[in-house]
Amino acid sequence: MARFLLRRLLFALLLVVTVSSSALLLTRLAPGDVTTELGPRARPEEIARTRERFDLNRSPVAQLGGWALRAVRFDFGDSFLYNRPVGGLIRRAAGNTAVLAVAALAIATLAGIPLGIVTGSRRGALAGTIRTVSLVCLSIPPLLTSLLLLFIASRTGWLPTGGMTSVEAVDAGWSAWMLDVARHLPLPALALALPLAATFERLQSQAMTETIHQPFVVAALARGVTWRQLLLDHAWRVSLRSMCAIYGLAIGALLSGSFVVEYVTAWPGLGRLMYEALRARDIYLVAGCAAMGGVFLAFGSLVSDLLLFAADPRVREGQTA
Amino acid sequence: MKVRLLGVLITAAILAAGFVFWRSTVAPDNGSPAIAISEAQVRGGQIVTSGRAGPRTFNRLIGQEQSTQVLSMLTQGRLVRVNFATFEVEPWLAEKWDVSADGLTYTFHLRPGVTWSDGVPFTSDDVLFSVQAIFDPKSESFIADTLKVDGKPITASAPDAATVDIRFPAPSGPGLRLLDGLWIVPKHKLEGALRAGTFSKAWGTDTAPSEIVGTGPFVLREYVPNQRLIFDRNPRYWRKAADGTALPYLDRIVYEIVPDQDAELLRLQSGDLDLTQTELRPEDYVPAKRAEDKGTLKVSEIGLSPQADAFWFNLKPEAWKTDPRFAFVRRPEFRQAISYAVDREKFAENVFLGAAVPVWGPVTPGNTAWFWPDVPRYFHDVNKAKEVLKGLGLEDRDGNGVVEDAAGHEARFTVITQRGIGWYERGLADLRTQLAQAGIAIEPAPLDYATMIQRMIKSDYELMYMRFVTTDVDPASELDMWSSSGDAHFWHFGDSNPEPWETRIDALMKEQIATLDQARRKEIFNEVQRIFAENLPVIYFATPRMYYAYNARVQGVKPSVLRPVALWNADMLSVRQSGTR
Repeated sequence: MARFLLRRLLFALLLVVTVSSSALLLTRLAPGDVTTELGPRARPEEIARTRERFDLNRSPVAQLGGWALRAVRFDFGDSFLYNRPVGGLIRRAAGNTAVLAVAALAIATLAGIPLGIVTGSRRGALAGTIRTVSLVCLSIPPLLTSLLLLFIASRTGWLPTGGMTSVEAVDAGWSAWMLDVARHLPLPALALALPLAATFERLQSQAMTETIHQPFVVAALARGVTWRQLLLDHAWRVSLRSMCAIYGLAIGALLSGSFVVEYVTAWPGLGRLMYEALRARDIYLVAGCAAMGGVFLAFGSLVSDLLLFAADPRVREGQTA
Repeated sequence: MKVRLLGVLITAAILAAGFVFWRSTVAPDNGSPAIAISEAQVRGGQIVTSGRAGPRTFNRLIGQEQSTQVLSMLTQGRLVRVNFATFEVEPWLAEKWDVSADGLTYTFHLRPGVTWSDGVPFTSDDVLFSVQAIFDPKSESFIADTLKVDGKPITASAPDAATVDIRFPAPSGPGLRLLDGLWIVPKHKLEGALRAGTFSKAWGTDTAPSEIVGTGPFVLREYVPNQRLIFDRNPRYWRKAADGTALPYLDRIVYEIVPDQDAELLRLQSGDLDLTQTELRPEDYVPAKRAEDKGTLKVSEIGLSPQADAFWFNLKPEAWKTDPRFAFVRRPEFRQAISYAVDREKFAENVFLGAAVPVWGPVTPGNTAWFWPDVPRYFHDVNKAKEVLKGLGLEDRDGNGVVEDAAGHEARFTVITQRGIGWYERGLADLRTQLAQAGIAIEPAPLDYATMIQRMIKSDYELMYMRFVTTDVDPASELDMWSSSGDAHFWHFGDSNPEPWETRIDALMKEQIATLDQARRKEIFNEVQRIFAENLPVIYFATPRMYYAYNARVQGVKPSVLRPVALWNADMLSVRQSGTR
C-alpha cells in the first residue's frame, strides 16, 4: 500500500510539473502577451517595463527555468491582473472551487447513481423519462445551463443571482456567513452537477445493465435472492467498478474545469481565475492555475485508484502481489 | 398502474412548478410592502454597483484601468474636476483660482477645512507632493505624459499652506482641463514610498484598506479579490448639498465584480444590482425597457456616443512589403470609394437596431463642443464608388464580383476585430454585404482581445474594425492619435515618413493646443477634421445612441456619455427612503 501511494504521489508531482510547465510555455508561445492588457494606447516604455517585469525579454526556456527555480521555493511569480503574488490568489480561488465542486459532486452522485440503477435495471415510462432528461442535461452546454438557471433565479428570486456571498454577510458572524454561502451555492452547483449527474446516470445504467445479464445474477435469482436484494447487495457493487474508474476523473475535471460556470455565476474560483489569466495572457497566473488544476487532477486520479482498490478485490490482489 | 400514476404525478409537479414560475414572472409586485416614494434625497442606505474586473492597484497615479478610476472617484479628489454631465471644469479641492496675465500660471486657493479621511489636514504640501510623485521617473506614473505641455512638465509651488501656484511651461488650450487628471494623494501616507523609490508599488491591492486615505466621499472598507469592493461613507468629506446636508447621501457603495455582461443584466433586472459602469448594449435595450415598464428599472437616454467604431487599413508601407494591393490601398480615393459604398442609415439600422446616427469622422455629434457638421461627406452611391474604383484602375475583369487591378490583384482583404462583441460582428457582416456591391471583398476574422491588440501593435493586419474609448471630449486629450509620431497613431504606428496631409495635421494640432482662444481652437480643429475626412485614414459609419439602465430606487443619477457612466457623481446618489437594501 505504501509503495502504491508513493507511486501515485510521484505521478502527481510529474503531472503538476508537466501541466504547469506546458501551460507557461504555451501561453508564452501563443499570439499576444500580457502587455496587450495595457491597451492599444500604451506607451513604449510602459510596454518595455512590463515585458521586463514578466521576463518576456528572456527566451521561453530561460523564462521557464527561472520560474521553476522560484516555484521550488513556493514563489510562483506575480500576477499582472491582480498585481500581487500568484500563490495567495490561487489558494483562495482553489478553496472556493473546492466548495463548489464538492457540492456539485454530492448532487451529481446522489441523483445520478440511484437514477442509473433504476434505468439500468428496469424498463418502462419512468426509466424512459429519466433517460430523456439525462440526454437533455448532457446535451445542454454548461454556459447555457448557467444562464438558464441565472434567468430563473433572477425572475423568481428563489436564489441569489450569482456571487459567493451577499453584501449582508460582510458584517455577519461565521455561521451567518456559512448560511449565506449555502444560499449562493445551489445555482452554480446545479449548473455543474446536472451534466455530471446525467453522465453518472448513463454510466451507472450501462454498468448495471451489463451486470444483471451476468451468469451470477441468474444463479442468485435461482437461489431465491429477491430482485431488490440482488440489485442493491450484489449487482450494484459489481457495477461500481466502472463507476469508480470514472469518478475520480470527474472529481479532477470538476475541480479544475468549472470555468464557464464560475465565470457566468461570478463564483470566485479557480476556473474563473484561469479564464481571466488566459484571456490576459497573465503568464505566471496561468502557470499557477494550471499547477493547481494538475494537483486537483492528480487528487481525482488518486481517489479513483483508492475507490477501485476498495471496490475491486482483483486490484487489491494485484497490488499486494 | 403504478407507473402511470407516477407519470401523472410527475407531470402535475412539472405543471405546478411552471405555473409558480410563470406567476413569479408576470404577476405585478403587489404582494410586496408598498414603497413610500419620497423624491427628496435623504442620507442613508447603500447601493450595489458592478464592474467587469477589480483594480490592479489602489494608487491612481499608477493604475489607469477603469476599476482604479472608479476607486479614485469614490475615495480621492483633485483641485478641479471636469463635470461629466456638462463637460465644464468646476472647483473641487481648490475653491477658486486666479490666472496670471500671460495665462501660464494658475494660483489655486485651497478649500478651507478639508481633511483627509484619517483626520490629517489637507494642505498645499499634498499638492506639491502629488506633482513630485507623478514626475518622479521611478514612479512610472502614466499621468506624467498627460500633464506635460509641449513636452515639458507643469511645475508647482506653494506660497502658503492654503495656496498653490501651478505653472504651465507653454500656453495650453485645454488649460485647467489637464488638471482633471491631477489626483491628489496624501503626502503623510506615501512620502516614505517615494523616498524609497517604491512609489510604483505603493498602495497595491494587498494594502490594508485603512491605509488608503483620501479626500473623496467614500473610504475603502474591504476588497475581496474577484468578489467585491466595499466603500463606506467618509465622515470627514467636505462637500455639502445645496440644502446644507453633509454629503455623500449614501452610507455605503458595494462594487461587485461580475465578469459576464449577460449575467450583469440579469442581476440588474432582478434588483440585485442598482447600477453598472457601462451603457446598455443595443440588444439589452428591450429587456431593460420591459423591466422599466414593470417599475423595477429606469432607462435613460444619455445621448449620442462621443465615439464611433473605426474601420481602417494598415497604412504602414513596411507591413505590406511587396504586396501590390498597397498601391491602391494607400490612395485616399480608394478609401473614399469605400465610404461611398456604405449606406450608413442601413448600417445604423442593422448594427445598432436603429439606435444610431450616421457619422463621417471621428468626432461625433455626441461631442457637442467639437463636432463640425460641415465635415466632408461621401453619401451612399454605389455607382460613384465603382466609378472612383475604375479611376484607380480597379474593375471586375474576371466577372467574379470582386474588382482587381490590371495585373489581377483583387481588392479582397481580411479584417480583424474582437471576438464576442455583438455589434462588431454585426457591423462587419453588414459591411461585407454592402462593400460586395461595389466589388470590394472583406473577410471578417474575429480574434481574442490579446491577439488582436498584439497584431495591431505589430502592424500585422490588413484591415481592422474596433472602437477606441474616449476619456475626454477635448481633442487635446487624443494628441497621441492625431500626431503622426503619437503612440496611438493606430493606422500608421511609428510613422517616420508622414504624408503631407499628416504633417499638416501635426502642425495644426500643435497650434490648436497652444491656442488659448477657444473659438480659434475650434476653427483650427475644424480644419483638422476636414483634412482627415478628405484623406480618410479611418472610416466611421455610425455612432450609437447610448441608453443607461439603473434601479428605479436610486436617485440623483446623471448618466454621462463618458465612463464611469454614473459613479462620477457618487456623492450625490441616494436611495428612496423605504427602498433601502
